[in-house]
Amino acid sequence: MSKASDISGQTGGSGRITRLRYRTRIAMREPTTLIGLFMAALFTYLIVVPIISILLDAVQTQFGDARRTDTEVGEWTSYYLNRTFFSPIARDMFWEPLRNTLSVALGAIAVSLFVGGILAWLISRTDMFARRWFATALIVPYMLPAWTFALAWTTLFKNRTVGGQQGWFEAMGFTPPDWLAYGQVPITIILALHYTPFIILLFGSALRRFDSQLEDSAQMLGASRSRIAWSIILPLMKPALISAIVLIFAKCLGEFGVAYVLGLPVKFDVLATSLYRNLGSRQTGVAGVLAASIMILGIMTLLIDAYLVREARKFVTVGSKGSMNRLTQLRKLRLPAAGFAALIFSISVGLPVLTLALSTVMHVPARFTWENFTLDYWLGTGLDTVALQQGILLTPELWSAAWNTLWIVGSASVVSGLLGLLVGYAVVRTPLRPLATFLRQVTFFPYLVPGIAFAAAYLSLFAVQRGPVPALYGTMAILILALIADQMPYASRAGISAMMQLGKEPEEAAQVAGSGWFHRMTRIVVPIQKGSLVTGVLLPFISGIKGLSLFVVLAVPSTDVLTTYSLRLVDYNYTQAANAVVLIIAALAYFGTVAAQKLTKTNLAEGLGG
Amino acid sequence: MPGITLKNVKKSYGAYEAIHHLDLEVADGEFLCLLGPSGCGKTTTLRMIAGLENLSSGELAVGERVVDCPETASFIAPEKRGMGLVFQSYALWPHLTIEQNVEFGLKLRKVAKVERQKCTTDVMQSLGIEQYRARYPSQLSGGQQQRVALARMLAVNPDVLLLDEPLSNLDARLRLEMRAELKRIHDKFSTTIVFVTHDQWEAMTLADTIAVMNEGTLQQLGTPDDIYERPANRFVAEFVGSPPINILEFGGTGELVQEAMRFLAKQHPEIFDIGSVGIRPEAISLVSGKEALATGDFGAPACVAAILPTGGSWIIELETGGTTIFMNTHVAPSVREGDRMWFRVEAHALNVFDTQGDRIRAADDAFSVAAA
Repeated sequence: MSKASDISGQTGGSGRITRLRYRTRIAMREPTTLIGLFMAALFTYLIVVPIISILLDAVQTQFGDARRTDTEVGEWTSYYLNRTFFSPIARDMFWEPLRNTLSVALGAIAVSLFVGGILAWLISRTDMFARRWFATALIVPYMLPAWTFALAWTTLFKNRTVGGQQGWFEAMGFTPPDWLAYGQVPITIILALHYTPFIILLFGSALRRFDSQLEDSAQMLGASRSRIAWSIILPLMKPALISAIVLIFAKCLGEFGVAYVLGLPVKFDVLATSLYRNLGSRQTGVAGVLAASIMILGIMTLLIDAYLVREARKFVTVGSKGSMNRLTQLRKLRLPAAGFAALIFSISVGLPVLTLALSTVMHVPARFTWENFTLDYWLGTGLDTVALQQGILLTPELWSAAWNTLWIVGSASVVSGLLGLLVGYAVVRTPLRPLATFLRQVTFFPYLVPGIAFAAAYLSLFAVQRGPVPALYGTMAILILALIADQMPYASRAGISAMMQLGKEPEEAAQVAGSGWFHRMTRIVVPIQKGSLVTGVLLPFISGIKGLSLFVVLAVPSTDVLTTYSLRLVDYNYTQAANAVVLIIAALAYFGTVAAQKLTKTNLAEGLGG
Repeated sequence: MPGITLKNVKKSYGAYEAIHHLDLEVADGEFLCLLGPSGCGKTTTLRMIAGLENLSSGELAVGERVVDCPETASFIAPEKRGMGLVFQSYALWPHLTIEQNVEFGLKLRKVAKVERQKCTTDVMQSLGIEQYRARYPSQLSGGQQQRVALARMLAVNPDVLLLDEPLSNLDARLRLEMRAELKRIHDKFSTTIVFVTHDQWEAMTLADTIAVMNEGTLQQLGTPDDIYERPANRFVAEFVGSPPINILEFGGTGELVQEAMRFLAKQHPEIFDIGSVGIRPEAISLVSGKEALATGDFGAPACVAAILPTGGSWIIELETGGTTIFMNTHVAPSVREGDRMWFRVEAHALNVFDTQGDRIRAADDAFSVAAA
């Protein structure tokens, strides 16, 4: 036998130690694993611990509740579970909101499927007029915050059920009934319009990749057009449709802003607003139960999605070589089709933006006379109001909110972009596979938790001092941390896929050429990944600017961001000012997205869900 | 220039053992090809030499220096081994220009600027990529990229050059040119080269020595002639050669096999335990009839089933007693499909394998004695 086996023979008992030394040496030769371990610890603290904390809140007696639960503070109790699910107020607190959430979500899905399905087909498989322009234009609603539409809706349809400035219809002499002005109907319509782009993007791209030869083969065998649509096209579109539906459902679960603006006047609660209400009235334990319920619903939905998509994908061969995309000739219907698309565009973008914009330059709603128009609400001084007597652009609060937004969202996005790349690096490179799996899963977890529940979890963990960590409530730090954790699913996905695409070889080539780890990172890996790093920072930044549900729980007046500031203005009934701020946010979000796309040459579909 | 020694090397990924037991010595300045089908462990071997994979057990030394040995917990990082590695995908750095790619290693070695530029220019000139120095890799064709990958490694003049299927992404003509280029480089710098390929012709044309691998074990180590003419076992015999070697399994019922068994039993009774016989297609020639066979030759009647011209040579498919065999000829065949002929094989061109599939060396000796 050779020399090698002699060596191990001689060393005998110490052989195992040598082996261990060798393995450690190999593993620690590069800091990859060390970085991975650090990341794992960091995200356990930022993601897992807050969630455990709020789950514990739901089953442990909270401060001040000792008498009610008959236990000491911190002991186990089923009081909150009983209160949320079985007590006399359970109906108002949980079951009604649950029913409302589900019916709104399902309604929104049905409407957006119908509208979006037609539009997706028109855009990707027909010769409709201006279809390229519509392909971009019809995505715009998704770039704007959903409650932009809610504010536009109230501006138009508001009635005397709530005070403040009149709605336009009311001012013109037609009083909209409550069911049209508030609650289920407008919320469903607005969410449907807001999420229609999901269907257009996901369903449309599946349609585009669909191979016309599959249709041709069926036709050659004598199948009719409806038969082809039903038994060839539809089954193959199933995965894309399921994904879009589930995505919309999950988003609706955590939807706060729209329900807050339009549901409150008629006490139409969804789970998110009920949670917010309980947080506001310091029902920490019940809030914990509600947050947990929202989380479980979210997780269940996405698990079902994962299962269904896996089942459906088994047979998918879309996008094979020689794939063809043939457009359907609309002939006489070309013009009506374009008209339909234009109608949807004007309802979902044109009308709301125009309404909001006009409302900020009019003294009295819906009076279209020359003297009624004014720029006072933007730039004026000495307005005839209780507070906020100057135009919004002259209000220091706006600028401090803008500065906060930039600072909080900006720093969180930069940090999460960098962390995402590091996570990607550690996941792809570490020889310790369990570590990679854990990192991948833990950073993805916030995706399953709607923002408002996640914010509640942060409140539960960081509201008081714990060990060396001071109470963070009321500081910017809690917002930044929560935002980082909330953005990690996208950041780490981007980082992992970028590192996967890069592959090992460019780095190994540098290594063989004599380059050490740090040199490789700074000269090879980061420069090559520059583009994806920019995307990984910009996309979360844009979604952070228009985000509301996370901030509404965690922000206080001194840490107001633009979204919470505008919501405060809504609460005080400064319609013009609120609408102006929302317009600013919408403009930032829209132009930011467009700029990001130009800059990074990325496609919107990739940033979807952000 | 140092040699490379692998002693009793094993490599496993979890329960899966990729390299079972590898002893291999690459002499100083040698051009060694690792040849084998995909998944045979040749790339793993190369990556272990480079240090990109570590050993599970055994010892790897470059010259006198042990660079990897789990038993003594020694491991030298790839960046400290001073080797050059060219990847199949070239792995050029997309964010650096051609010149920056080539001078990367020199910069790392802190070579002074003047010398660095001279060296970079020299190597780029000798590979004919000097005019692309300011371009980025994505602006070059596959062949040019391949040259850059080579230039990048040659610039630092490594003691050992490792090449992982560097020519497999090139078209046929370029591949031929680059083979010549590689041979020239090897002659000029007398670098120790380990070259991984699954292309037998590449291995044949380039290597001083070929190491044929399969399923994580070394099958044969020898010169290209050895490998082709005296394959150590059935695997090597069947892997190398196109059209493939004709194998006659002993104990079969086909007429041809019976004929072969009778021939060997009669002429060479001293050879026993025969499992199969292999005949290279070019060792077969057509004759008019039985009377044209010499006494020491093996032959049988056959029917021409098909003639396949391959441009400059012809593959002839022969049908003989229920068996199909291929022959290869460089002379335009005068026969036509359907003709009945005899074919003959000189005894020393027979490859005789035992029942385990290993070559019976004694048979070679017996044939050469008989021929003499």
